[in-house]
Amino acid sequence: MRQTAFWISYILLLLAQLLLSNYFRFTPYVMLTILPVMVLSISTRVNRIAVMIIAFATGLVVDLFSEGLLGLNSLALVPVAFSRDFVIRLLFGRELFSRKEDFSVQSHGWGKVALAIFLAQALFLVVYIWADGAGMRPLWFNAARFGASLVAGFLVSLLTLPVLASDSRK
Amino acid sequence: MKRTLLPGLLCLAVFILLEAASLHLLSRNAQLQRLWIARGAHWVMAHSWGATQSVRSYFSLSSANKQLAQENFLLREELERSREQLRKVWTDSLQTPQHAGFSMIPAEVVKISRNKQHNYIILNRGFEDGIQEKSGIITSSGVVGIVDAVSEHHAYAFSFQNSDISISARLGREGGSGLLVWDGIHSNGALLKEMPLQARYHSGDTVFTSGHSLLFPPDIPLGIAGEARVVNGTTNEIAVTLFQDFSAIRYVTVVHNNSLEEIEQFEP
Repeated sequence: MRQTAFWISYILLLLAQLLLSNYFRFTPYVMLTILPVMVLSISTRVNRIAVMIIAFATGLVVDLFSEGLLGLNSLALVPVAFSRDFVIRLLFGRELFSRKEDFSVQSHGWGKVALAIFLAQALFLVVYIWADGAGMRPLWFNAARFGASLVAGFLVSLLTLPVLASDSRK
Repeated sequence: MKRTLLPGLLCLAVFILLEAASLHLLSRNAQLQRLWIARGAHWVMAHSWGATQSVRSYFSLSSANKQLAQENFLLREELERSREQLRKVWTDSLQTPQHAGFSMIPAEVVKISRNKQHNYIILNRGFEDGIQEKSGIITSSGVVGIVDAVSEHHAYAFSFQNSDISISARLGREGGSGLLVWDGIHSNGALLKEMPLQARYHSGDTVFTSGHSLLFPPDIPLGIAGEARVVNGTTNEIAVTLFQDFSAIRYVTVVHNNSLEEIEQFEP
């Protein structure tokens, strides 16, 4: 039941991301995305390969239905899925996987959860901005875009978290 | 171990596969990204080809060394021929007797001793290859030794790092000459003995073979002159740092004075 609720939330947030990608483009310096936090919040019961495939498919859907480049979101989201286990083990402990539990703000505190989101967001943006620029944009532009997108995306992801987090699904 | 390694490798393979698929999609749908990916792929290919080329080059060093040694020998022979021609022109113009020429044979060091007071060298050429006793052994960095005995396919030589060996050497191209001997301590240390006190000398001068010994052609650079000290108030003894690194000798040239026997007839 909890899992079904999560996947419904996941699909709704995917639609929200499509809206963000298509209608919330105010400046080239800010790229709003909640995809990293969505991938990060997938249950620890789902194995790593499945998470990577889900991330790939999610990125592809966003690329297909928004004005982006096909493959760009997938390229940036798969590394987030690949490194997700490391981040969770590092910040929340490896027993989370053995107990098949999910991280939550209640159990682990805002600090650790925020740091996990920050890391996932940063990794996504590094790959996204690097591939989007294709080596043609100056470093200062990429750096400014990364900084602004990281702050904006991080704040939006924190707002999104209650929808996905296991606390709210109990 | 196997249980943790296999899923890890599988994850990595899926990760690479998905990233490759993303890159493929990206390159098919965006011109700029296609060029960028192609550039990246070329960079990777260039570096991997470069790395394999380096490995291949490393393993072909031995044959490259042999080829270089052969080339070096031919060039030295050519140089000596030119020198000989120059000398001939010079002596002809002065109407003085002509200097004898040197024959040269390339050889490889089979064995060398370096930790004794009387060190020796064994070469892979013998009398069947034209090597004769009383021949000098040189490299581009200086004098290595003197052939003492010859068998069918090998030659035994006294190394310069032998307290019994001395070579006639000269300071600069036209300076005073003396006897160069190994200092018996350092692998690249020698002493230029019996230098006349009146001979002009500067620290840092190059020491050459004088050509008076009949075993070595003149003007082979041997080393750099260092500090001097007066011996018994009659001669100078100058420390010399040799160019020759005896720990890295492999290819040498055996030189033989073609007029040695003729000249020796005059000696008592």
